[in-house]
Amino acid sequence: MIQLALYGKGGIGKSTTASNISAALAAAGVRVMQIGCDPKADSTSALLGGRRAETVIDLIQKRGRDFPLEDMALEGYGGVVCVEAGGPTPGLGCAGRAITAALELLKEKGAYEKFAPDAVIYDVLGDVVCGGFSVPMRAGYAQKVFIVTSGENMAIHAGANIAMAVENFRERGYASLGGIILNRRNVKNEDEKVLELASDVGTEIVGAIDRSDTVQDAEELGKTVMEAFPDSLAAAGYRALARAVAARCGMEVEL
Amino acid sequence: MLEKIGAKIYEDTGVTASEALFPEPFRSGLEYAAPARGMWNIVHTGMLIPESHQIFVCAEGCLRGVVLTAAEMGAIGRLSSVAIREGNVLDGDMEELIIDGASDIIGKLPRRPRAVLIYTSCIHHFMACDLPRVYAVLRERFPDIDFIECFMNPIMRKSGLTPDQLMRRQLYAPLKPLPRDPRAVNIVGSDLPTDDGSDLCRLTRENGFSLNEIARMRTYDEYLGMAKAFLNISTYPSARAGAETLSKRLGQRHIYMPFAFDYGETDAEYAALAGELGVEAPDASAGRDAADLALDRAARTLGGMRVAIDYTAVSRPVQLARLLSEHGFNVTDIYLDSVSGEDRDAFDWVKGNLPWLLFHPTARPAMRVAPRGDGTPVLAVGQKAAYFTGSDRFVNIVENGGLHGYDGIAKLAGLIADAAETPKDARALIQIKGLGCSGGCCV
Repeated sequence: MIQLALYGKGGIGKSTTASNISAALAAAGVRVMQIGCDPKADSTSALLGGRRAETVIDLIQKRGRDFPLEDMALEGYGGVVCVEAGGPTPGLGCAGRAITAALELLKEKGAYEKFAPDAVIYDVLGDVVCGGFSVPMRAGYAQKVFIVTSGENMAIHAGANIAMAVENFRERGYASLGGIILNRRNVKNEDEKVLELASDVGTEIVGAIDRSDTVQDAEELGKTVMEAFPDSLAAAGYRALARAVAARCGMEVEL
Repeated sequence: MLEKIGAKIYEDTGVTASEALFPEPFRSGLEYAAPARGMWNIVHTGMLIPESHQIFVCAEGCLRGVVLTAAEMGAIGRLSSVAIREGNVLDGDMEELIIDGASDIIGKLPRRPRAVLIYTSCIHHFMACDLPRVYAVLRERFPDIDFIECFMNPIMRKSGLTPDQLMRRQLYAPLKPLPRDPRAVNIVGSDLPTDDGSDLCRLTRENGFSLNEIARMRTYDEYLGMAKAFLNISTYPSARAGAETLSKRLGQRHIYMPFAFDYGETDAEYAALAGELGVEAPDASAGRDAADLALDRAARTLGGMRVAIDYTAVSRPVQLARLLSEHGFNVTDIYLDSVSGEDRDAFDWVKGNLPWLLFHPTARPAMRVAPRGDGTPVLAVGQKAAYFTGSDRFVNIVENGGLHGYDGIAKLAGLIADAAETPKDARALIQIKGLGCSGGCCV
């Protein structure tokens, strides 16, 4: 089983990227579980036809911890197991605690054994702002962290912070940096800026996604590009990205 | 208005058996702790590991109870603490604080402990501290010490094991597989040593088996030797989960034998134990007759005196109430906050046969101001029953008092008769924490 986490600035396209990687891998016969670690809880909606999965935190708040594993996980496009950690009441609760509680509960209820995924993708909110957000990169979770960024300054800044957190945790045996995913926004000198970031943090760009209306069109349909427009250029791009990301984690996939 | 408030308060102090609901006759919420402190806590239980040291890592305000416990039992030299301050939360050095704090303490101890129990607290779990890493670093730094993961985290308690069950499970975490000794048996998870005269001790020892339990261990090596036993026996309900975990981990057999006040169940337990030991099942008739005799004698001693029982004295207070009632005792009150599944049958029997019997909570806030008895003499079984009835005639035991089998029932009947005839200084006795621990069994 490979496990990887996508981190990056809020709104940079992590969930779209994660869902399309999941869908591409699933189409190649890989059993995938995607876990949204963001209070917005919309990581997996494109895999679920635009529906929102009930979050683990909502389930805990309504029913304590006494509910079956199946209630925490929905089957999405291509059989992808979709889980949303969820989050607290905005402005009041602790989002880091919510991620921790959700991931602990998945383990307690035996999700990894029951669903037996070949690949687990953690789609993590923005920045590593507290201990809870580092849980997906700890021992027992993701082996590789991928930073999703565009050439926008704030995204690059967030990417640098994430890389620094990964570096700080290296001696602890946490996940290592798998590389950078460039999600192009067509800003000036975009590739050069992201290449510079990669060089600064000692990694490489593992794949790039061109800005494309196809992605927005699929989103409006509540689907991944892989499902809505499988023959598109954008879909080919996601296939290449999924192959590269999986390879970085030690899994060779024919796509 | 005051009358209305008063009426509301007293609604929370008792319910008749006929109206009581299983398993929780009372609402839960804000809790009150009566000053009857004989039950053991996580400090007492942890101290059972010989040659060990405890380190509590928490905010200073949380330390009061555990420090007082250690001081009262004369074991303050076996407990240290690391205080968490706001700066640690902001700096994110919570994990380093445990590692550096524990290392510093270990370096300054006059004797190298064989085991260190580290009690982390709620905030470590709130903040998702990487505790597996903390223990990995400590184990690498001090390979000669067994580090035991312990918890003082009531807020972060989840479904599953209670803090009491967890502590009793962790108590055996350092045991590692050893060659099996087919003549060695453990009693696992009991705070108090099992009475030597009990049917349990006699059946095993008289058939040539050695019987080990942590309360009798004097050295760490003796304690580690418990891993050799082929059979683990648990007798206390909150010890059962830990005993199952240990037995599974070490490949030992396990049998659960609670102290029952039901003759049929007692016979079945001992027959099962005999089967595990590969010996003939004992003839229980003499023990049963002796128990009946002792109960009848005690009932005569009490005359019609009211009897109140609480859950801290015996793990099956309702079953005891049934047994005593069947032998002519006037059982009128039971103090408990919930009815265990093991007491379900007896609970139904009491509802049908003693519908007027009163169940009282011990932890509802209203119990703080509930009247302490009505002047009628009461024989109390347990410290909480003594406190709430204001009685000085009480049986001073906790956690079944090491009693077991028919011998245990007979001895308990004897204690009841003695208590009826000889008043005790309840105020002085019940406020001492950890009954049976401060006497030296675990220090």
